[in-house]
Amino acid sequence: MKEIKEHTISARQACVIIVMCIFANKILLLPSLMYEKSKADAIFAILILFALDLIVLPIFFKLKQLFPNEKLYNILSRKISPFLTKLIYLIFSAYFMFKALLVFSVTYVYFKQQIYQDEFLFLAIIAFIPVINHATAVGLRSFARSIELLFSIVLLGFIACLAFSLFTQLSMPIFFISNAKNFFTTIYEHTFAFGDYIFLFLIIDKIQIKKGQEKNFYFYSLLGMGLILALFFLFYSKYQITSFMHNNALADILVFSVQFNAIGRLDIIAMLTVMVITLFQLEIYNYAFSESFLSLFPKLNVYYSIAVFDILFAILYYIFIGKYEILVGSSDIWSPVPAIFINYIIPLICLIIILIELHLKKRKKKDQTYLSNKK
Amino acid sequence: MSYFNLKKKISEIKTTLNESSDFSYRCYKKNGQELGFVFLKSIIDQNLLSEAVFMPLQTFDEKITIKSLIHNIIKCADVKKIKEEDIIKEILDGRVVIITNFSKEIISIDLFKFPSRIPSEPPTSPVIQGPREGFVEDMQTNLTLLRRRLKTENLVFKTYKIGSQTQTKIVVAYLKGIANNKVVEQVVRKIKSIKTDGIVDSYYILSYLEERPNSLFKQIGNAEKPDIVTAKMLEGRVALIVDNSPIVLTVPFVLIEDLQNSNDYYTNHHYSSFVRVIRLLGLLIALVAPGIYLALQIYHYNILPLNFLITIADTTQGLPFTPFLEILFIFLLFQILYEVSLRLPSYLGLATSVVGALILGDTGVKAGLISPPGVIIVALSKIALYTIPEQASQVTILQIIFIILGGSLGLIGIVSGFVYFLNYLNELDSYGTPYLAPYSPRIPQDLKDAIFTSPVGDLKQRPKTFSPTKKERL
Repeated sequence: MKEIKEHTISARQACVIIVMCIFANKILLLPSLMYEKSKADAIFAILILFALDLIVLPIFFKLKQLFPNEKLYNILSRKISPFLTKLIYLIFSAYFMFKALLVFSVTYVYFKQQIYQDEFLFLAIIAFIPVINHATAVGLRSFARSIELLFSIVLLGFIACLAFSLFTQLSMPIFFISNAKNFFTTIYEHTFAFGDYIFLFLIIDKIQIKKGQEKNFYFYSLLGMGLILALFFLFYSKYQITSFMHNNALADILVFSVQFNAIGRLDIIAMLTVMVITLFQLEIYNYAFSESFLSLFPKLNVYYSIAVFDILFAILYYIFIGKYEILVGSSDIWSPVPAIFINYIIPLICLIIILIELHLKKRKKKDQTYLSNKK
Repeated sequence: MSYFNLKKKISEIKTTLNESSDFSYRCYKKNGQELGFVFLKSIIDQNLLSEAVFMPLQTFDEKITIKSLIHNIIKCADVKKIKEEDIIKEILDGRVVIITNFSKEIISIDLFKFPSRIPSEPPTSPVIQGPREGFVEDMQTNLTLLRRRLKTENLVFKTYKIGSQTQTKIVVAYLKGIANNKVVEQVVRKIKSIKTDGIVDSYYILSYLEERPNSLFKQIGNAEKPDIVTAKMLEGRVALIVDNSPIVLTVPFVLIEDLQNSNDYYTNHHYSSFVRVIRLLGLLIALVAPGIYLALQIYHYNILPLNFLITIADTTQGLPFTPFLEILFIFLLFQILYEVSLRLPSYLGLATSVVGALILGDTGVKAGLISPPGVIIVALSKIALYTIPEQASQVTILQIIFIILGGSLGLIGIVSGFVYFLNYLNELDSYGTPYLAPYSPRIPQDLKDAIFTSPVGDLKQRPKTFSPTKKERL
């Protein structure tokens, strides 16, 4: 079987991948039960989790600087232990598999309710799976370029969705009404919808970052999050109580759009935007799974990882089929621990590695100076 | 001392050429010296042969030597000595071979002539403004057309002969110091590796040059006009001129190239940008209009404006076909009519149009076989297809794929198909150049001449997309 050659991606492409993750995670995954616990204060929970995510970025840049063109797997293997690294990568594989499953489940239910009005699981699988498999097979460079190309269109679609809501009067949400316990429980339970930058760690050796391009990552992240916040406020103005963080929030995007008699309902823009975001997100997760899987089994090629992903995806979906509540509704029960491990513990481990490496370098430099002075 | 037995040698040559009826020879004797002229009369200029060779030979009174033949007697520009084993090759190239009984040296004179048309405007690339000259089948004329536009010592023509039976000349043309050397080397390597019995047209070498010959998408550019090829070579691209073909191939190729037209550079750049947007729109309509119509009609009808929905419901009621089969039926009908109109003589073409448009279309609707919205959508997509005629063949295949996706999976199918092809195209390279450049990957500098274009004077740098050796246009 032929091996697919891998290429690097530019900083801009990495940035748009991150924005796509922010969009997908916050629009597709967050409309859970977040609002129920902490009402409008959920927005502060989002901001706190987003800030925690942002802290990870400098760790990523420093790690890339210290270990240029080196895979995270090799860094961890060398610095921690090969066994622990394998364990971490096993968790990575499961993490991305479940994220893909969640995104697929949420969008499937959305499309079923709003468009197809009937079961269409078989059709959805036929439509999505070959595309995401192909994306993984052709490699990161190809789908990163596709995301880069369609990024402006997705952004336009997103802004169009926001613009339609301007037909309604804006009003400020009522904040600070939930208690501290509910607030922090919300943060804990919804960590799974964050950790967007972890994907960057997995592809650390495949990103080309030139000097000064680091700030672009912050800019794009803030742009993505800014649009999510705008959506939150505009949704709140329209629906007051529900805001966009509830079970049927995706459905609300449709109702949100205005019926224009001459050109029909413009919710097709929202539909297409959600479809494109979903596909790209699934491509990213499938690729992330493949990266983790192939690090665990370096002798296998990408087609094996695709096959394993598809089989596991089918089995898991079969188990959870028709049990949307179990999979998505209970995600606040089963997801926090692995999410916290992946989103925060892994970067923390990286930070420790960085500190040790810096310390060693400093000591080496000191020793060299001492030796040269002695001479 | 005689070196050749002329009678025997000529007989040998005749046998090697299978006693072809256009084989001809003439012997000339003077003072014991014998000269044999061997040629194929179908491909040489016989008048020139008598004027430039025989007449001076008759008036030459001194002893004939090879030296005097080359320098004093023969009045032709291209005269050369050849080896004995090259005699057949030279004759087949339209040259007259001279063998003598007084020297072992053999002379070959270029008297090649074949009917060639005058460079005229190619039917596929008409322009409102700008040059109207087009390439012809004669390679020499084509090279002249390029040389006339590129008066520089950097213009390089490298000739190769390919095809065991056709011995077709292929010229690799490029501007030294501008074209990327790696691309030139790659092209030459691929040309040299061609093993075939014949190259009939430039399209014959496409599959040898393409990096993915089985791909649906074309990976080699083509042009029928010397001004287009000149502009491409100035960008750092390499041209391939094939003898007997008016189509010149160019590499590397990018998709955006087909949205551009030579006319764009001869009109106001604002208008050119507008026209390019229209072409892109045309391409998108051609690609997905029937698929989206089907998806909306079958799955997402609530999106449609109410009046339009009522019209569709009214017109599709009672049709024997499902919406999917109806669109497929109209599509195939259109394709059959298109093929017929291409093959039929022009006077019958008009009749076919009448039969197609009036009888099949109108009567089909009245008979309740097909619906007017279906006819309009397919017709619209087929007309839009010809905003970019260069892409017509592959877009036609893609139309069918999107019809199947839209009809069976709805909008999800269309979006999935679109993303799939986008990923595929992003993986495609043409001689190291990304297929969707300069948009994907984004090359900001080259966006000056992509869909939106700047005045020609502002294009001070060659497109980075093609990695030219010399970046500045000076």
